[in-house]
Amino acid sequence: MTAIEARSLTKQFSGVPVLDRVTFAVEDGAKIALIGANGAGKSTLLSVLSTLALASSGTFQVGDIEADGDTAALRRKIGVLAHSPMLYEELTPLENLRFFAKLYGVTDGAERAQVLLERVGLWRRRDEATHVLSRGMHQRLAIARALIHRPSVLLLDEPETGLDQDGLALLDEEVLRAPGMTVLAATHMLDRIEAWADGRITLVRGRVATAEGTGVRTAVLEAVQAAAPAAQAVTS
Amino acid sequence: MSSSWAVLEKDLRLLWRHRTGWLSALTFATISVLTYSFAFDLVTAEVKPLLPGVLWVTFLFAGTIACSRSFADEVEQGTFDALLLAPVPRTALYVGKVLANCVALLAVEVAVMLLATILFNVPLLTPALVLSVAVGTVGYVSLTTLLSTLGAHVRAREVLLPVLSLPLLVPLLIAGVRSTSAALDMPNGDAPWTLLLVVFAIWSILGSALLFPLAVER
Repeated sequence: MTAIEARSLTKQFSGVPVLDRVTFAVEDGAKIALIGANGAGKSTLLSVLSTLALASSGTFQVGDIEADGDTAALRRKIGVLAHSPMLYEELTPLENLRFFAKLYGVTDGAERAQVLLERVGLWRRRDEATHVLSRGMHQRLAIARALIHRPSVLLLDEPETGLDQDGLALLDEEVLRAPGMTVLAATHMLDRIEAWADGRITLVRGRVATAEGTGVRTAVLEAVQAAAPAAQAVTS
Repeated sequence: MSSSWAVLEKDLRLLWRHRTGWLSALTFATISVLTYSFAFDLVTAEVKPLLPGVLWVTFLFAGTIACSRSFADEVEQGTFDALLLAPVPRTALYVGKVLANCVALLAVEVAVMLLATILFNVPLLTPALVLSVAVGTVGYVSLTTLLSTLGAHVRAREVLLPVLSLPLLVPLLIAGVRSTSAALDMPNGDAPWTLLLVVFAIWSILGSALLFPLAVER
């Protein structure tokens, strides 16, 4: 079963292509690292997949929901951890999570917020204003926010930002290695990828350059696989 | 509707905690009304004909100060994206924002009317006048909330909002001033100004609610 499928996704800003016919598929439950140099298009790809930005052409689907189909259902499936923690600084951690729980229609919002704050180690600081928390604690709270509605697909943009060793362990446990959850995470921490990723997609100037490992298929990979039997036949 | 309610509740909480925007608006409004009271001869001259203008100019600029922050704070904190990621209609987010801005601006307006009642010795908190101001506020806030979305990503948003909104608000201002005059028992011609105010408010709400999803699309 495919969790994310991008088909020839192209995104242009003022005529300049930032994503160029990006095609890939991520299997259900796979943990995929999205790597590439600065400006390769990683964040833009995640913005398009999270429905924050519209693709100039091409389309994608999450699970069996097409991007131009039931957008609300598609958004319900996705959890997003972006560059910015996307938190209200004047609200407390508990108020932040309860607000997003209401927005996502989580029926057990109060209980869910408590569980997540305990898991990310912020329950004791639940009633302090968010702006007094450190950068790492912001990121922990942002992880809780991304998980509040029990998404099946997580789109993460440099999720390690600001986290200490304990925070990184928490990120691995709760997000990157969480069983059953599909993860597509843009990262520059290449030394950590082996620890959590099943596969990796490399973007170069907005194009999929390589796709390695399990759980991911790309047009490049499929072309190579399709060509392999033909090449074998020729050489034999 | 529950998502609009959630946005309203959250925004009112934020307005209470982060009072800079609305306190600036209230301070401006208070100084404005005080200055007018010094300028007019309250002993000998009849100030009633001037009051509609005093009130609406004050409401207009106080609202502009306050509404310009409506989406700017969300954009600066990155929470605007978080709102757009939620599985709720964009219009519901807009309605929540408009309601929060209306509540806050109406609170400022009531304070201004109370102050003006004392300073000008004219009873302003009458049902007819409160109705005119409330309807005008709904029309005004719904339009400026939409326009503040457009300007939220722009550095010069404090300048952009009045430039965009004032030409569009001319019919509302005329109708608001005239309808306030009528509420103060002054001659204002035969035109149904309050009806025009209501029509503008409805047009503003419907038009802005329809345009908001397009305005936030990237």
